[in-house]
Amino acid sequence: MIHLYRVSKYYEGIPALREITVSVDKGEFVFITGPSGAGKTTLLKILFCAEHADEGQIIIQGMNTFRLSTSSIPYLRRNMGFVFQDYKLLPHKTVFQNIALALKVIGTPYGDIERRALLSLKKVGMDKKDHLTPLKLSGGEQQRVAIARALVNEPQILLADEPTGNLDPQAGQEVFRLFKDINMKGTTVLVATHDWETVQKMQRRIVAMERGKIVSDTKDPVLSPTAPKQEPSTR
Amino acid sequence: MRGYGPVYYVVEAYHGLRSNSLVNLLAIGTISMAMLIVGFFLVVFLNLQAAVGAMGERLEVSVFLKGGLTPQEQDYLLTRLKAEPGVKKAVFLSKEGALALLKKELKGQEALMEGLGENPLPDSYEITVDAKYAEAAKMETLTKKIGKLYGVEDVSYGRQGVEVLDRLLKLVTYGGITLAVLLGVTVVFIISNSVRLALYSRGQEIELMQWIGATRWFIMGPFLVEGMLVAVLGTSLAVGILAGLFHALPREIVLFLSGPGGLDFLPTPVIAYMIGGGGALGFAGGIVSVNKFLE
Repeated sequence: MIHLYRVSKYYEGIPALREITVSVDKGEFVFITGPSGAGKTTLLKILFCAEHADEGQIIIQGMNTFRLSTSSIPYLRRNMGFVFQDYKLLPHKTVFQNIALALKVIGTPYGDIERRALLSLKKVGMDKKDHLTPLKLSGGEQQRVAIARALVNEPQILLADEPTGNLDPQAGQEVFRLFKDINMKGTTVLVATHDWETVQKMQRRIVAMERGKIVSDTKDPVLSPTAPKQEPSTR
Repeated sequence: MRGYGPVYYVVEAYHGLRSNSLVNLLAIGTISMAMLIVGFFLVVFLNLQAAVGAMGERLEVSVFLKGGLTPQEQDYLLTRLKAEPGVKKAVFLSKEGALALLKKELKGQEALMEGLGENPLPDSYEITVDAKYAEAAKMETLTKKIGKLYGVEDVSYGRQGVEVLDRLLKLVTYGGITLAVLLGVTVVFIISNSVRLALYSRGQEIELMQWIGATRWFIMGPFLVEGMLVAVLGTSLAVGILAGLFHALPREIVLFLSGPGGLDFLPTPVIAYMIGGGGALGFAGGIVSVNKFLE
């Protein structure tokens, strides 16, 4: 589903990613962990075509992103959902309108928007608050709405960058439970996080990064429970 | 993009206009002032052009004949003159006829004619020129050519008048074009700024739309339509103000400014072109801003 081969990225000559080689199969759940500046966010941004890699090859769902024209990027993104640490909900729009925007963007017929938006909100338990604006919701609720938005177009891949970074532990657990459910239904999930406690509890594949390199790739964390060095992360 | 064509763009543009109403009202007002100047020049230009055309219709060239031409030679010359492009009509005026005409024109000043003795005036052909030839350069070429024909002594026409009209029309044309270009650039600038403000106010939404798979046109469309609407409204307002001012002009001024065909307001096709042109400038202004923003 996702193949990266010797991918490097530099910011003003300073390497953010160094020869990253990793593959993720369809339906996998992968945690990307590492300290601040390890390159987790850069890696997700490259997968999402928000940044261009300087070297290497990236194949996503059979498409080589290096050969992708700028006009084709939106169509690749429609097969991916992205969950941000700061939710990125539009504050002046209601919960429903935030979800509806994601449907409008891909040209969903007007008649289907309400049904699909409410269905997606129901999956994350937010259908009763569809008329509220994000500012009237708690952080955990806002992140659930953001997840509903990421899922409303039924993407095959879900990327999340520090999704629990702004949440209390209980809300964070709720978000990870949602990710687990989504993954169980066949969606490939990649989560960049420094919440080592949850990562350990979830017992899924862990790709640990440090200074732009993959330092370990643990497919069965039960057998190697060593925690990599962790720090709060922003990039 | 089922269901998200022009109707979606117009609805979104309408919401955009409402949410940035103050900025857009200012833009509409400024554009209307710029387009008012363009419209004023168009009125002047079109009326001047009509006046030049009407004067051209009345422009006459006198072709004086050498003495002693036989009737056959005169007929041959007439045929040659009529064959010249630009010659609409050619009428023979005998020397007697010319003298009678002169006497008629000098009525009350007969003393001037005393002592003339023999009629000094030659036979002539009075030519009416096609209005399209009422330009200094074309008239010069035509008269030179006629002057070289067999039997022609001299050619005379109101050269000075034609040159003055020619210069005036050129001045208004080039002045108008320069001003229209400058004001067109101004309109693009105004629109690009008002669209830029709209873009910044919705920057978060646009960024998000890009992240969730919106195509460039899906994002651009409403802003381009918004730019077009602002420009079309501004131009329409300018045409309205111009029409109001035109009809409010005192009769004395209208008579003073009127050419032979009277003073006319902009014809409907010109108004349509003006509003359409305003819309195109608005579209261009929108493109400038949105492209810069999305880069």
